[in-house]
Amino acid sequence: MTRKILIVEDDAAAAAYLAKGLVEAGFAVETARDGRDGLFLASEGIFDAMVVDRMLPGLDGLAMIAATRAAGIRAPALVLSALGTVDDRVEGLHAGADDYLVKPFSFAELLARIEALLRREERAAAAEPVARLTVGDLEIDLLGRTVTRQGRTIPLGTREFNLLEYLARNAGQVVTRTMMIEKIWNYHFDPGSNVVDVHMSRLRRKIEEGFATPILHTVRGAGYKLSPEA
Amino acid sequence: MRLSITARLALLAIGLALVSSLALAGFVWQATHDDAIGALRRDTTEQSDALVAVWQSGGAPALERAIAAAQEGDDTLVAEIVDGAGVRIAGVGPDRLSVKPTPGNMPFRIETLGDQGDWAKREAGFVVRQIGTRWLVSGRMLDDWERAQRTIESALVVAVLLSVLLGIIGGLVLTRYVSRRLDHIAGAVDAVAAGDLGRRVPASGGDAFDRLGGRINQMLNRIDGLMGELRVVTDSIAHDLRSPIARLRARAETAVTATEPAQRDAALAGLIAETDLVTRMLGVLLEISRTEAVTRDALSPVDPATLIEEIADLYAPVAEDAGLEFQVVTGPGLAAMPLHRELLSQAIANLIDNAMRHAGTGGAITLSLTAEEGALCIAVADRGPGIAEADRAEALRRFGRLDSARSQPGAGLGLALADAVARLHGGHLQLGDNAPGLIATLVLPR
Repeated sequence: MTRKILIVEDDAAAAAYLAKGLVEAGFAVETARDGRDGLFLASEGIFDAMVVDRMLPGLDGLAMIAATRAAGIRAPALVLSALGTVDDRVEGLHAGADDYLVKPFSFAELLARIEALLRREERAAAAEPVARLTVGDLEIDLLGRTVTRQGRTIPLGTREFNLLEYLARNAGQVVTRTMMIEKIWNYHFDPGSNVVDVHMSRLRRKIEEGFATPILHTVRGAGYKLSPEA
Repeated sequence: MRLSITARLALLAIGLALVSSLALAGFVWQATHDDAIGALRRDTTEQSDALVAVWQSGGAPALERAIAAAQEGDDTLVAEIVDGAGVRIAGVGPDRLSVKPTPGNMPFRIETLGDQGDWAKREAGFVVRQIGTRWLVSGRMLDDWERAQRTIESALVVAVLLSVLLGIIGGLVLTRYVSRRLDHIAGAVDAVAAGDLGRRVPASGGDAFDRLGGRINQMLNRIDGLMGELRVVTDSIAHDLRSPIARLRARAETAVTATEPAQRDAALAGLIAETDLVTRMLGVLLEISRTEAVTRDALSPVDPATLIEEIADLYAPVAEDAGLEFQVVTGPGLAAMPLHRELLSQAIANLIDNAMRHAGTGGAITLSLTAEEGALCIAVADRGPGIAEADRAEALRRFGRLDSARSQPGAGLGLALADAVARLHGGHLQLGDNAPGLIATLVLPR
């Protein structure tokens, strides 16, 4: 089933760029030009996720999301905004947005975040607590907090374990550096380009050294992907 | 408006002079008046006592002789002997007294003696005393005393007029002086408002006007400083953004003209990297401006040790990979306090980032958390070349990069953001000498 995304963006060029990219990524897309139209479309309840610009004519993006929530629509919402300070982001997340992306952003970042939001919803829908994650020959025991690959135990620090768990929950999909900074370290600022890379290369050394096949892949211009296949 | 102030000051001065001179004149008049009456009463009583004594020793003939002798050459003296109906029997005085003598003595009084002729026109101070079956009236006509009083009164009027005149002159001089001093201050302020930012209020001494002028000068200095900073920032933004935008344009052109796909891809990737750099610079700049406007309500209780641990966890591997020793030193017993976790973490991240950039190879970075007297100190120390004392203020400024050519791709905003975050917490960023190296300390009051 094709997943449907609602884009609410008043900048026509930006909306067209987003729509084109999302269609190419296999989504069905509808576009609204202001908050009122967006709310009207969202109320139909047919969308799997919403991408909403924060500053919209008529009805502000955050207000629109609040209204859809009041109407019982649970589709996750990603807010796009030119307001990029730490406090703006935190405020946006508190106001009901599920994720917050500051303009300008790379499309890869947006796509990775939408995928992550959708998977989170699917997991929530499945509603059964997962005790074990498996990616190829890598197994993560969430209760015992142990990691084994090909039956061999790999000792990991707390932070490394959290990183690997996050990657495994999004296995096969790209996870961007900023997503990791936000989810694992809970920071909303950009700590510099290679900070995450250093942590990833350490993690990679632990889970790949001594094994024949790579499992943690770098996706150029986007981020990282945990997957048995390249 | 200024005219009315001048008029009000002049009126105030005149009013004060008038009130004070009136009060003074009133007091003098009252005092001399009372004195004169007192003297008259004493004189009259003494004379009356003397005459009564003469009567007691010599009888009526001796008294009449004494009266005649006393009146010799003293035409204001009144002394007569009257019967029970007040009719004159002997001496000088009205033929019939205006008051009827009563048995015994009548105390000193001031009124007209008779009701006919000259006696009815002028007042006299007198006493009446019984001598046998008659009465002795003795006293003094008030001509002299009145004349003296009138002289004093007219002198007082002159004094009041003079003091009013002096008040007017004083008021005018005072307002002249005040408005001249105010004009100096207003002139400087007007000149600044008109665009001459260098103008200052001339200072001459240490009076209230000079203090006001000094305050205004301080304010103008601050405004001047802020304007200068704003100008530097604007220039710097223009300059610092110009280079990446120029590179952006160059890469875009390369991509457009590239014939090989690999070449084009490389150019486009570079274009994206340059865009990210510009975005980052703008983001940090915005963060600094916003930090300066953030209220302290945005702070929530955070355990400083945990905050340090978390940021160290993020950066320790990065420093180690860069060949640097990374140490974390945390003092004991630090309670949670109101902090902005995100911004403070970012500030520390900037300090660590800065330290790593300048530490050189094989150096060491120490992140320490200590509790000083009334303040929490978060310090990042490196073993690099440090910053000379004279350059430290410049290092804290936005875009204040110590190489004037601005060639290195450091954003030049890291320390400025750290300083802004420290000020958000009511503290400051302190740059010190780590001998060798730089020690940057966020001093946050508790």
